[in-house]
Amino acid sequence: MNLTEHAQQNREAWTALAPEYAQNAERAWSQEEITWGVWQIPEADIHALPDVAGKDVIELGCGTAYISAWLARRGARVTGVDVTPAQLETARAMQAQFGLDFALLEASAEDVPLPGASFDLAVSEYGASIWADPYLWVPEAARLLRPGGELVFLVNGTIFMLAAQEQEIPPDEQLRRPYFGMHRFEWPDDDGVDFHLGYGDWIRLFRANGLEVEDLIELRAPEGAARHRYDALPQPEWARRWPSEEIWRVRKVA
Amino acid sequence: MTAPDLTEHARRNREFWDGQSADYDERNARFIERGMAWGLWQIPESELQVLGEVSDKDVLELGCGAAEWSRSLARAGARPVGLDNSEARLERARAANAEAGLEFPLLHASAEAIPLEDASFDVVMADWGAPTFADPYLFVPEVARVLRPGGLFAFSGGVPIEWLCFDEEADTVSDRLQRTYFDLHRWETPEGSVEFMIPMGEWIRLFRRTGFVIEDLIEVQPPEGAASTYRSAEETAWARSWPMEQIWKVRKP
Repeated sequence: MNLTEHAQQNREAWTALAPEYAQNAERAWSQEEITWGVWQIPEADIHALPDVAGKDVIELGCGTAYISAWLARRGARVTGVDVTPAQLETARAMQAQFGLDFALLEASAEDVPLPGASFDLAVSEYGASIWADPYLWVPEAARLLRPGGELVFLVNGTIFMLAAQEQEIPPDEQLRRPYFGMHRFEWPDDDGVDFHLGYGDWIRLFRANGLEVEDLIELRAPEGAARHRYDALPQPEWARRWPSEEIWRVRKVA
Repeated sequence: MTAPDLTEHARRNREFWDGQSADYDERNARFIERGMAWGLWQIPESELQVLGEVSDKDVLELGCGAAEWSRSLARAGARPVGLDNSEARLERARAANAEAGLEFPLLHASAEAIPLEDASFDVVMADWGAPTFADPYLFVPEVARVLRPGGLFAFSGGVPIEWLCFDEEADTVSDRLQRTYFDLHRWETPEGSVEFMIPMGEWIRLFRRTGFVIEDLIEVQPPEGAASTYRSAEETAWARSWPMEQIWKVRKP
């Protein structure tokens, strides 16, 4: 497996984070409902996903694979892909514990060793959609999809990325970096590399890969939302006013 | 066809534009009468490549003002129709057309209720103009209706991020988030007009709902020190970092 330099760096970062995420895996796997992002917005409220029963689904950057588990329980034939072996170990332990079996594959979403046109849905939530280079993983997702197949993924809010603090504290109202040129981000208190594009760059990337834009769902913290445990992400008072997370829905041209 | 009733904001914007037509031309007319060029910094169409070939096409301009764009389109071989909600603006357009020796229809109407037949245009375009002053939830369905299958809708206008960072007290843009994104829709300006802006996802859902395929979103970054009669040097400097103008390109399949 030939990994890009940032994929290697992110594998190391996620290897270090894996024990912490293992602690939360059981809670996520126990959950019946599909929810999105830190506000746990119910899928039933936003309808980001198609009906998955009987569909071939790939999760790009599955981590502990709780999304894969939720989709497998709804009748999807799921493959979870992740670049970090320690995260996949947690996913396998959860599979054994919950008696749920689906394919898990160690690979970067930037270079997936699977044949083209073999999936009906590609999904990513706090996975490849944030830690892989869009100019590498989106073409891979487009390749893996069958004509008419959908790609649904969650990213950090674009406006949040403009306001995100260098240190691991939540954003305030100050814009801290330019919009033009958004792509690769590194942070002083974080060993990983993440990627964020502007709206127009996303749209051009989709179109260049034969993907049509279906929706951009900008998530708003629900009224009365509780504070969460992620240091650098917006807390409810911010996320009631500006989108802290966004879900793109695109479809491979039939 | 009889003229449909104007919405309350269309009536207010008509008064606003009738009242400021002469001042607007005094400030901007020379800057924008320079061939096909877009927006606040008059970036040439030849550079942005938004419209493609217009020769022999039926083109509707929404909020044509003095019809600078429509005259350029006519010179490029298109059959333009200029629509504007302000009679004072259309007087300017008629005078400029006479001076240029050009003739094409000019229509006094709001883009929210276009008094034209279904499927009668190959291109609908606006350079700012109507999309700033009409409600998107009313004008986008109208554009979908008057376009032929395969037709292009391309329009420039403001950007949510500038609205969010606009400091009403200082009457200029800042580098701090001030307004709530999720509330974006309608803004009653201190000058008496009503302007519209909706979140990015709302635009996308509106286009999809009205049957458009989204082809591009061009976020305009002006060259350093670009001239503008619409924005101050400080505002143009801001727009080097964050988009202040965007051009949607959507197509009716």
